[in-house]
Amino acid sequence: MTKLHPHTKIVLLAIVSCLVILLDSPIALFACFLVSLCLQASIPPSWRQMRLLLLFVGLGTWGLIYSQGIFYNQFPRTVIFTIIHKDVPVIGGLTGGIHLYREGLFHGAVQSLRFNTMLIISCFIIWTTQPRDLLLALVKLRVPYSLAFMVTTGLRYIPLIASEAKTVIRSQRLRGFRYLRLNLFHTVSGILNSLRPILTNNIRRATHLSEAVESRAFSPDATHRTSLRELKTQQQDVILISVLLVCLLSVIGLKSIYFLYANGLYYASWLRGAYTFAREVL
Amino acid sequence: MGSIEIENFHFTYPSRNTPTLRGIDARVDPRAFILLTGPTGCGKSTLLRTLNGLIPHASGGKLSGSVRVNGASVAEQPIAVTCQQVGLLFQNPEEQLFCIIVEDEVAFGLENQGLPSHEIDCRIDSALAQVGLAGFRHRQIASLSSGQKQRVALACVCAMQPQILLLDEPTSYLDPQATHDILEIIGDLNSRLGITVIVAGHQVNEIAPLCSRVWLMDDGELVSDLPIDQAFTDLDQYSQLGVQVPELAQVARQLGYSERPLTLDHAVQLFVNSTLDSTQPQSHWDKLSNDLIRSNALSSDDGLADPTLVPTQTAPPNPNNILAEVQNLFFRYPQTSVDVLKNISFQIKGGEVVAIMGANGSGKTTLLLHLITLLRPSAGKVLINGQDTRRYKPRHLAGEVGIVFQNPDLLLQAATVSEEVAFGPKNFKLARKEVEERLEEILPIFDLETLKAEAPYALSRGQRQRTAVAASFSLYPDLLLLDEPTTGQDYYHLQQLMQMLDNTMKVENKTAIFCTHDVHLTLEYASRVLLLHHGELIFDGTPDAAFANPERLEQASLVPPLTMQLQRFQNDKTASSHENRPSRNR
Repeated sequence: MTKLHPHTKIVLLAIVSCLVILLDSPIALFACFLVSLCLQASIPPSWRQMRLLLLFVGLGTWGLIYSQGIFYNQFPRTVIFTIIHKDVPVIGGLTGGIHLYREGLFHGAVQSLRFNTMLIISCFIIWTTQPRDLLLALVKLRVPYSLAFMVTTGLRYIPLIASEAKTVIRSQRLRGFRYLRLNLFHTVSGILNSLRPILTNNIRRATHLSEAVESRAFSPDATHRTSLRELKTQQQDVILISVLLVCLLSVIGLKSIYFLYANGLYYASWLRGAYTFAREVL
Repeated sequence: MGSIEIENFHFTYPSRNTPTLRGIDARVDPRAFILLTGPTGCGKSTLLRTLNGLIPHASGGKLSGSVRVNGASVAEQPIAVTCQQVGLLFQNPEEQLFCIIVEDEVAFGLENQGLPSHEIDCRIDSALAQVGLAGFRHRQIASLSSGQKQRVALACVCAMQPQILLLDEPTSYLDPQATHDILEIIGDLNSRLGITVIVAGHQVNEIAPLCSRVWLMDDGELVSDLPIDQAFTDLDQYSQLGVQVPELAQVARQLGYSERPLTLDHAVQLFVNSTLDSTQPQSHWDKLSNDLIRSNALSSDDGLADPTLVPTQTAPPNPNNILAEVQNLFFRYPQTSVDVLKNISFQIKGGEVVAIMGANGSGKTTLLLHLITLLRPSAGKVLINGQDTRRYKPRHLAGEVGIVFQNPDLLLQAATVSEEVAFGPKNFKLARKEVEERLEEILPIFDLETLKAEAPYALSRGQRQRTAVAASFSLYPDLLLLDEPTTGQDYYHLQQLMQMLDNTMKVENKTAIFCTHDVHLTLEYASRVLLLHHGELIFDGTPDAAFANPERLEQASLVPPLTMQLQRFQNDKTASSHENRPSRNR
């Protein structure tokens, strides 16, 4: 799977994103999530990549479930735990009480499946595609060359910026600064001050990089630009895109039929199996 | 072929009121090799960017006069056209390479030129062969050394087959061996292919022997434009501007010669084979060469440096006070299979000034980062004041150890210079009066009094580095670490910084450790040298002992000063003449 054409990977992300938005059933969404995990496992990722992915997936899942559990505003909803009672002075009166809702937690879990599926496939693309191939693929997909160049070059500098941020934080600590204190103003101003060297350094780096690029005949329109190599589509790319398109079109078709039936616009008895499948599985 | 004509050229950057280039008039003939030198901030880089078309096309700003490359005005023709004739190589290889694979990096400019893929293919191979990197085409750039990265950057420029090659301090990040290699390639491009070359830099000793002319700049003006055989006749002009002069030319002046040798062969021919062994006493020669090796000649003769800043005598280290101890240290970066540090052991005592030297990638910075817990040993121990750093966090070392990185910007976070210097003392909750007293004491030491209200990141590189050193020093750490303090500094500012630091550290009896490739700096300021080679400690002793062994120096990619090589030649010659002299007893 890692040898897929970058186009195929981008199309894969686009189709799966459409699918997870169209699908409502937790079973179908969980199936998509499992497929994305299998895709990721085919690399296979390094320990560092796995740790990073687990961190993102964990934070995303926790954030979505927790926020939806509290702020769920659909009905019916069942309170399973009261965080702040409505009788608590000021906050209780202002908020009408803060509760954790069962339906909210469930909705959050479903949303997190959507989010995590897209996140995992995005990581799969970034970790298995050389920036040069991604650049070519984006340009072929008619993304403006200067934008595609910025995106792919930016990706290349993310680890460097992360390492610099670590050095800045540690050097501030070496000068006696403690980030975590009870004084919130102190903590926030410390974090903002730490951003200054990182930003300054990056602005300098961007200036030098733009000079280096312009000195090598870079032009944003890239009308006359050629390429050392051409990316070739292989049979596996065609098969995968075909399968994905069939899946997407099937889901759209079944969802449309069910929508017509559910809104009383069209009903055919021979489609009962499709109605059941759409309701139960999709 | 590549020729340049500059007529009465003035240029002012958009954000500035005063011009950066003023009334430049010059002409560069095809096949010329020009050394462009001058103090930091004099306009060398701006001039190179003008010749390449980055100014005014990418920078904006006000200009007058004209710059013509091969007869065409640079300001009028698109930058994409100019850069096909004029290639520009920058100072830091890390900031000009942005691809993962060598092949893609070299192909980038050629693809922008719209060349067909088979032509690009051929040019990549040819450019890599020119810079001695044949076989590196499919290598990952991250796996290369700094010297190899700079050669890749040079290959990117060469692949575009420019007629003129501009190099902006191309060797300031490289070790002496890599510097030698890069300059050899550039010299070859000039002599064999006839490419016109202009090199801006402070490393006059290394670059001057290759040149046909020398341009000296000061404050935006071209103050001298002379052929190489006349360029160093008046050395005072360079000394007054704080620009390094070739050390052999300096020796010639001291000995009263009118000729200015730039190479060892020429110097040997001039001094050793003629006058020295007959008219000059050996002790005079030894003293002179020792003085020059330690670079004191410039600072004491020209009145440039503040006499109070002349290095003081090194205080003897206190043998009982072991400040830092490294025991059988091994270190390997995550997800790699090679040990960057291998079985390193040494002790640092209070009051020592230690230089860590070695080739790019030999583990100097990695070793330094272990002393401030930014890295933890894979095996072995690092003890600071007797405590194992594996149990420390950086904040536990605050006030005991300070560091100034090669890139000083990573330390500068405050809105003004005085806030930057006061940051550490304030974190230790010193009384306001005490903080102010420290500011009053430290700002003048590092010549920052007039800049105290300025934003640190808006200062010049030398000023930013002084601010970073002052900020680290404000906590009066027992151990101060400096990573490559020479990078991008001109001779005067480097001397100024090191002398200030040296005096202050010695007065306070503090310890300093610095990483450097600069042999002069080590001889002048260090009391001890640690030589690293591929992560192993191959020498630990005095600077004089370190540089006495040519094989060891070569192993560490270092080159002894030319005067030291000359001195050795003279000593060998004297010894052999004594051996060959017939005995009176016979």
